[in-house]
Amino acid sequence: MKQQQRFNNVQTVSNFVDQDLAIKTEKVNFAYPMSEIGVSDIVAVRDVSLQVQKGLHIAILGRNGSGKSTLAKLFNALELPDQGEVVVFGMNTLDDESVWSIRQACGMVFQNPDNQIVGTTVEEDVAFGPENLGIPSAEIRKRVDQALAIVGLSDYASKAPSQLSGGQKQKLAIAGILAMQPLCFILDESTSMLDPGAAGELMTLIKSLQQEQDMTIIEITHDIESAILADYIYIMQQGEIFFSGTPREVFTRPDKVLSAGLDLPQHLYINYLFNKSFKQAEIEKYQAESFEQIFTTEETVNAMFELSKIAKPEIITKTTSKKNEKDEVIISVQDLSFTYQKDTEFAVKAVQNVSFEVRKGEMIAVVGHSGSGKSTLISHLNGLIVPQQGVVKIADLNTSYKRDIPKIRKQLGLLFQYPEHQLFESTVYDDIAFGPKQFGIKEPDLTKNIEQAVDIVGLPQDILQRSPFELSGGQQRRVAIAGVLATDCSIYVLDEPAAGLDPIGQQEIFGYIEHLRDLGKTIILVTHDMKLAAEMDRILVLSDGKLACFDTVEKVFSNSDLLKKSGLEVPAAYNFAKLLSEKFGEEISGFTADQVTSNLIRTLNRRESDNDA
Amino acid sequence: MHDRLLLGKYYPGESVLHRLDPRTKFILLIVLMVTLLVPKTAFPLLLLALSSVFLIVISKIPLKEILNSLRSIIFIVLFAFVINVFSGTGKPLITFSFITITEEGLTNALLMSLRLMLLVLDTTLFLTLTTTPLQLSNALESLMKPLAVFRFPAHEIAMMMSIALRFVPTLLEETDKIMKAQSSRGANYDTGGIFKKAKGYVSIIVPLFISSFRRADELANAMEARCYHGGSGRTKLNELHFTKLDFIFSLVFILISAIILFAHYRYPNLI
Repeated sequence: MKQQQRFNNVQTVSNFVDQDLAIKTEKVNFAYPMSEIGVSDIVAVRDVSLQVQKGLHIAILGRNGSGKSTLAKLFNALELPDQGEVVVFGMNTLDDESVWSIRQACGMVFQNPDNQIVGTTVEEDVAFGPENLGIPSAEIRKRVDQALAIVGLSDYASKAPSQLSGGQKQKLAIAGILAMQPLCFILDESTSMLDPGAAGELMTLIKSLQQEQDMTIIEITHDIESAILADYIYIMQQGEIFFSGTPREVFTRPDKVLSAGLDLPQHLYINYLFNKSFKQAEIEKYQAESFEQIFTTEETVNAMFELSKIAKPEIITKTTSKKNEKDEVIISVQDLSFTYQKDTEFAVKAVQNVSFEVRKGEMIAVVGHSGSGKSTLISHLNGLIVPQQGVVKIADLNTSYKRDIPKIRKQLGLLFQYPEHQLFESTVYDDIAFGPKQFGIKEPDLTKNIEQAVDIVGLPQDILQRSPFELSGGQQRRVAIAGVLATDCSIYVLDEPAAGLDPIGQQEIFGYIEHLRDLGKTIILVTHDMKLAAEMDRILVLSDGKLACFDTVEKVFSNSDLLKKSGLEVPAAYNFAKLLSEKFGEEISGFTADQVTSNLIRTLNRRESDNDA
Repeated sequence: MHDRLLLGKYYPGESVLHRLDPRTKFILLIVLMVTLLVPKTAFPLLLLALSSVFLIVISKIPLKEILNSLRSIIFIVLFAFVINVFSGTGKPLITFSFITITEEGLTNALLMSLRLMLLVLDTTLFLTLTTTPLQLSNALESLMKPLAVFRFPAHEIAMMMSIALRFVPTLLEETDKIMKAQSSRGANYDTGGIFKKAKGYVSIIVPLFISSFRRADELANAMEARCYHGGSGRTKLNELHFTKLDFIFSLVFILISAIILFAHYRYPNLI
């Protein structure tokens, strides 16, 4: 409540005290100059005016390319506004004198953990900022030790950064900023390359800095679950602030959030779908009011219950594509073990005694925390790693035989994380053609395959003659995916194909996967996203290199002990379905928003017809 | 991968050699190298060999590690030996058809091999095994500081060195990743004709270059965001300090070198 008042003050009182502001922007415009190379300038930020109060946690949301990251760079004078001004703790970024004070006050944590570490050891890296500020050695030593203690990396002080995990590297980046004694943290998609466990830990750390040291936090993110914890949210679209408000104010306008290309929290999305299934005109007014009041899960359950009493939902007939599963086993892994640097003191057991079988046409999710052996396991499937112990068979081919490997790779397409980083040809056509050509696919099949692949990923045919390096990140990702699809494999192994994309981008990728299923392909999807895993037929859970479980989605997600032990989360929709079951007094199951909503509607309709009878 | 680095890698320890200021080690190494290259006779080399043995003993590094670093130059040593052994003049020792080995040739070959091995041994002991790359770049920066008068970018060079070091493991990992990704797309780096192989390597090098440029760009941003603005007004977490140890050590080694060099020029025929 108190917070609510603070915001109202910011927005209505015009003569507020500037000292209370961390960041203030006035009609800021910024464009990346491109006119030199004959392209019109790219406007990244348009007329942005905002005020951030000290000590608050602000989230900035928006699709890829909506100008969020540019805005962050404007906040600490990495970019300077073309028009308007940015004032940070009373200092104008256009003022040359205050640039270093601004950067000291506003520390920035970037997206890629590897590309922001300067030091060759952990402590040297933490010292980098204070060294630049010209602080005496003894004081630097004190600050380094303190900062490392706060983020919990004291034991790693003399280690090389390459020995840290992704989550630890991001903590190191935070320590490096803490040692500069900042007032504000800017997080530019800092958790997007981490697994959910590490991301959660990082956010807990950030939250504690906000609460204990009164830091101002500005978080740029796609992650709705983390934005919900913020005090205030700005949503950006095409360089402008599309709308803003407290999480409650923002998420009680679901149509607006969805139109900005963002997700809703699962329970609100279920409520949204549920409301959309009512066609009766008389409840439209009621719905408009009800959306405005629903934010917490409890409110949502109650509102849905009330709504079900006054009207009757219509059944959504969502055509779920038929499973084309056959009994034929296409992948068989028997007693597979693999140890890195075997027989040395650095030996790491990556995979231990794993056995499983996948049938033709199945969709499998492989889940597990970072370092659980997922990458090692999938690298075995096409012979990139040859088993030290055990057997991996793809149909009747064996990865232990060298002569089988080219045939296996032609049949099993493997797509690693961030596949756009492997593009290298001068045209999109050549790049997509690289794989199929290596596997001996000749014209006219080659062109036909390429055109088909480009169609599946939704790119226009005229893109084929362009250079892959002039495309946007999202387009590059699609070209890379097309490069694997063009070989027309019968099995696809996809490692986090949607990583780093915004919600709409992620939905598109899932669209390709469904398309491949309709074509009868077998799919193995490595993912951290439990929403995606819930759409598959079976889930393979890896935990510390061992196969913890390989079973249907229902069995895996209802085994809470297993999930906890493997460091995984239950899908939010499943948890919400339990609340609904309690309220409605009937068993409502489901693991995705769609499943939960349609199950609820079916239950309500059945109850109605029972009553009629 | 790391084990195959040319001159071995840092071996953590607390020995006298580890505790010496890296600048001392750097300067002493240069002095030793000059002393090694100048004399043409056996006695000074044997004296220097003895001092290397002394260094090995006080470094407290297992002999196996040290010999490992010599393994990488074994071919160069053999090559130098063969070249020298056949190129001597004077009294023939062995004659076998057109091959003649003279006494002078044999002595030269032995001395050259010993000289090369001592060069590598001293470098390894002083620089790679007992000095971290970071200390080394700090030492270089400090030693090159006077050159700033001539606008020599001492700080920048040291910073580039330490960033290069920092990114070696990252780029190795990246290369491995790209190689796996391209192999999955059917690239073959072992077999096929020259053209096919070259094409294969293009598929690794181009993505590696592009990602390095992206990394450089992001790193520059991250460094600027942490107030990096060149070397002026910069302090150090670990400042370098000369101690008594550095003084004593330098004195001993400079004395040995001075005697050898003095003897070489003053009494060239005596030893």
